[in-house]
Amino acid sequence: MTPSPSRPRSYRPGDWYAVLGPDVLVALPPSERGRVAALWEMVDDGADGDAVLDALIAGGLRHLPGFVLVSEVDGTTRAVVRGSVTCTLTAGGEVVELDGTAATTWVERSLPGVTATTVSVSGDAAGPDLVIGPGLVRVARVDDPPASVEAAPAAPLDVPAPLDVPAPVDVPAPAEVPQVEEEPSPVVAAAAEAAVPDEPAAGPAAEPEPEPAAEPVEPAYEDLPTERFDSLPPAPPAPPAWGPTSPPPSAPPAAPEPDPTPDPQPDPQPDPPPADHDHDGMTRAGSWDPDEFARPQAGIPGQPQAPSVTSRPVARLVVSSGDTVDVDRVVLVGRAPEARRFTSTEQPRLVTVPSPQQEISSTHLEVRPGSGADHGSAVVTDMGSTNGTVLVQPGLPSESLQPGIPVQLIPGALIDLGDGVTIQVTRP
Amino acid sequence: MSRPLGQVELQHGAATDVGLVRQVNEDSFLVAPPVFVVADGMGGHDGGDVASAIVVEEFARLADEGYDPRRGAEVVAATLTSCQQRIEQYGAHQRLGGAGSFHAGTTAVVALLVEDAGETKWLLANLGDSRIYRFSEGVLEQVSVDHSVVQELVEAGTITADDAAVHPERHIITRALGATEGAEADYFLLPLPAVERLLLCSDGVTGMIGDDHVARILAAAADPRDAAEQVVRAAVAAGGKDNATAVVVDVVGLAHDHPYDSERQRVSLEQKLGALP
Repeated sequence: MTPSPSRPRSYRPGDWYAVLGPDVLVALPPSERGRVAALWEMVDDGADGDAVLDALIAGGLRHLPGFVLVSEVDGTTRAVVRGSVTCTLTAGGEVVELDGTAATTWVERSLPGVTATTVSVSGDAAGPDLVIGPGLVRVARVDDPPASVEAAPAAPLDVPAPLDVPAPVDVPAPAEVPQVEEEPSPVVAAAAEAAVPDEPAAGPAAEPEPEPAAEPVEPAYEDLPTERFDSLPPAPPAPPAWGPTSPPPSAPPAAPEPDPTPDPQPDPQPDPPPADHDHDGMTRAGSWDPDEFARPQAGIPGQPQAPSVTSRPVARLVVSSGDTVDVDRVVLVGRAPEARRFTSTEQPRLVTVPSPQQEISSTHLEVRPGSGADHGSAVVTDMGSTNGTVLVQPGLPSESLQPGIPVQLIPGALIDLGDGVTIQVTRP
Repeated sequence: MSRPLGQVELQHGAATDVGLVRQVNEDSFLVAPPVFVVADGMGGHDGGDVASAIVVEEFARLADEGYDPRRGAEVVAATLTSCQQRIEQYGAHQRLGGAGSFHAGTTAVVALLVEDAGETKWLLANLGDSRIYRFSEGVLEQVSVDHSVVQELVEAGTITADDAAVHPERHIITRALGATEGAEADYFLLPLPAVERLLLCSDGVTGMIGDDHVARILAAAADPRDAAEQVVRAAVAAGGKDNATAVVVDVVGLAHDHPYDSERQRVSLEQKLGALP
């Protein structure tokens, strides 16, 4: 096995999750269990500190009680600390302790030439200092470089011996393995997963095992320079609410018992090519996903996007003022309707209705082809109009539309905007 | 101005300033009624100013040759595609010439008159963090939505709009012309009467002075040329850390809404010009 470029760290067991990459260390509280696997995947793919930070905060800070992110780029170490955890950096004799307890957002510090980093997430964690390479593990404390290990396992880090699994990363010393099994939740380094196949967090990390040779680290993130386009954050993994982007965490099939014929494998993490810091350039292809920043078009925040333009209309609107409009795209109705943030191919239809009493708002309501359960029919949404909208559907009591809440339209429905303006919904 | 678009009369003013820090003004603007553009080039080393100038050239050609006002969004999208291609070609040429990893890029905000459902409307387009505001009935409202990392964070609820103004990543944009991926603009369609005055500006303006300051200037300066001039001057006075550009467009033909105001505005402008018809 070729030596990994990564360095060892040591940790003390605890209930926080630590994602340990070559240049990135992330610690997350137990409540973030659902996203550690995605983060590990990201870090293992070579994501840099900025990318990981983006992923961490993608779901909002409010629900993230605490975290530690330590990353190193070109000899400068940056630590970001949130919540009641501490991170101690030692650089040239200077010791800097960051404590996130008092910060509303986070505490951040960059230092060049850091020689030692300690992350402590739960007070004075007792216990042995166990050495670990890259991987995902539950910790109370992490030291980099490893704390002077009293129980230092004799085995060198690179020996995958006890598991005999083709390990893409350094394997923790044999001494740790029993401990992993006593305590089902910890996951120690990717290579140890075969021992704990039921741990959900192991899922994504387990996937490289069958064909570890095919996993060169993509250098994309490594290359991100620091100026405008360049520092576009790479796609953060989906927030937990969207479910994991990686294969479902049913690891067992993916991680068979020790492979009798482990292939000799190339270095899973070749040294990244020298970073090409083109200071004036833009991101190169593939280093970020444009869809990440795709926005909903005209519509309601938080609502699923309909197919903005359908090949055939799903309904026809007969407006009392005389217009007849097919709903094959977003239709905005109002006294002086405005369409916002649409794409050049999905321009909404704007339907202006008279409102001598000004009872109708400028952009009063939206009708669009429905998506999901509403597919094939039209849905109407009050856009927060001043005086509201009343909807009468056949066989149903009349209802006042709640602003921003779409309601499926049945043919025969009548929408009352006020000022004597109604819209009849018919089949197209 | 009676281009293809009925009797809409537009008055406009524009101003730009390199600021106090930068050596080169990489902003470009176009006032070619009924087409208005501000582009904020970036890239340095001869890149940004060329990229933003390309945008202005392409839209100037559009204004010159005319366009189908009923296909506004398509027309703008096609023009932006031409810009993208030319900027890419320019970048490739520079790299061939030995400029290593040369890349040029630019933001773009565009406002032009179009016809929709038989009415003249403003079609606005945005790529990047230059902005379009409308000023109506004394209220300034940002219409365009920045393509920037901080805007994404604001929308995700991660930070507030106030945080965004001081966020370390506030200058990082997520879409631009010249970016490798290309980028689709956001479009906005506003009825003419809803817009008394439009302001197109680069982030050298909005990064230096707040919206309330801009609103005060726009409220006080009746002449759009004064308004543009004063907005830029205020941005420079506030530090001038970046190139600052402003284009102000007034719709004069809103007779049915504010006959008195628009008449007064016209008279005021003509008096200043010293050329009554």
